Amino acid sequence: MPSQTAFEQEVAQLIVDSLNLEEVAPEEIEPEDALFREGLGLDSIDALELALAISRAYGVQIRSDDENNREIFASLRALSAHIEANRATS
Amino acid sequence: MTDTPQVTRPLIADTPAPLARIGDRAISRAAFLADAQALAARLPQARAAFNLCQDRYHFAVAFAAILLRGQVNLLPPNRGSTTLAEIASQYPDAPALVDGPDAEIAIPILRVSACGAAGEATGAIPEIPADQTAVLAFSSGSTGTPTAHARTWEALHAVTWQALECFDLVDGSGPTLIGTVPPQHMYGLESTLLYALLGHATLLAGRPFYPEDIRAALADCTPAVLVTTPFHLSACLRAGLEWPTPERILCATAPLDPETAGQAERVFGCRLDEIYGCTEAGAIATRRTTRESDWTAYPGVQLHRNDDGLARVQGPQHPEAVPLPDHIEVRDVSHFRMEGRLADQLNIAGKRASLADLNRRLNAIPGVLDGVFIPPGTDQDTHGVTRLAALVVAPDRSAAEIQAALAECMDPLFLPRPLVRVDHLPRSATGKLPRQILLDLLAHHGQCA
Repeated sequence: MPSQTAFEQEVAQLIVDSLNLEEVAPEEIEPEDALFREGLGLDSIDALELALAISRAYGVQIRSDDENNREIFASLRALSAHIEANRATS
Repeated sequence: MTDTPQVTRPLIADTPAPLARIGDRAISRAAFLADAQALAARLPQARAAFNLCQDRYHFAVAFAAILLRGQVNLLPPNRGSTTLAEIASQYPDAPALVDGPDAEIAIPILRVSACGAAGEATGAIPEIPADQTAVLAFSSGSTGTPTAHARTWEALHAVTWQALECFDLVDGSGPTLIGTVPPQHMYGLESTLLYALLGHATLLAGRPFYPEDIRAALADCTPAVLVTTPFHLSACLRAGLEWPTPERILCATAPLDPETAGQAERVFGCRLDEIYGCTEAGAIATRRTTRESDWTAYPGVQLHRNDDGLARVQGPQHPEAVPLPDHIEVRDVSHFRMEGRLADQLNIAGKRASLADLNRRLNAIPGVLDGVFIPPGTDQDTHGVTRLAALVVAPDRSAAEIQAALAECMDPLFLPRPLVRVDHLPRSATGKLPRQILLDLLAHHGQCA
């Protein structure tokens, strides 16, 4: 079972806090699992809410030309990598 | 005896404004017509077709092609497989026009990839019979399958012309319409597709979603009209970005409070007009939210309150009066105040549903013995969107299985969070479920700690 890196732990906490997922423990989010539908069952409202939280916490603006273009949100790992990459260059 | 000449209305307006903009490419009306005619030639013989395209230009081409073939655009309320199957059972020959990865639809699929590269149509603008049913939109009724609402091409022409006059889109600056709402939604159809088809305006093919997408689209398109919802608008206001100034903001799907409207007018530097409408009647009224709380009906549209307490609307686009799904206080025939939703109606992030319908669908899932959705309270002061909760008696089904079955037949916005499995529901002797007892039961299961 892949374990969360330190930064993934931080992002997992941000996800749980910003989406009020009271029933989910941050450390239980599998880094490679889908965040939307199958995994945590998140939807487009969550994506928008999470994008706002990420811009506040890390100054990273999430962009997509299409709401369904969700590679960034594919998993905790993908999301964390996207934030780190864009934070590093800014 | 001679035939009465058939009354027709043009498919598109004859204006110099490009029909669409894909990225930084302008698509002329002639190029759009060429795309629509090419797709029309590919459509199978049928009474109707599902228009599931997500790119707004693809949707527009599919919409026009379906009309050109004398067929009906089916606009389902969501993409759940159960929902599509229910509608498909009424239209067994209807194909689905798609442009995304919709591999799981059990309907013959036709892919739309038009991009304005099929040349330019020559000749007269095509005419569509006025009485042809152009779209069937569906609302969730309190009983049974989705209720279909038919709109003729004449009715769509009428409501669009009322709006074009109200919003200065007849011979104005020819703005680009930047929409955050899907074109399958009645508001999205009217305000992003039809304003461009029939008015002096251009639709943006993309569907900006995140605040940064919307900012970039506004920066790229000048002049622009932002067609959005309270949900997207409040996300933009919370994002703390520097906003390019559109010509106007249009907002609909749920009432906007005057404070947010005022903040939006200051931050974006333009006026904001709200539109009132519903799937049943389409758009019928508007208000400048910072200046007035009452709604003014579109020109030629009238409201009446009946003995049953329901407000009804009548206009050129409603030959028969249509009851409105809200609690409406009629001031006079062209002014009204919206007091709230009817008891059964829910609105989550701008999407409407009937509570009775959601409960019926929950209880129709095999293995669910009893179950009830619990709407969010009105007094909750939280950021973002409050979700429905559900209590379910289903000893042999997991919460995940029930959620998966629900996702087949409703918009994801209505999926319960949390869904709590219980041994039985605390029904009173008359079978009722008092709200406070349901909330106590939810809290008892560790949710609202």
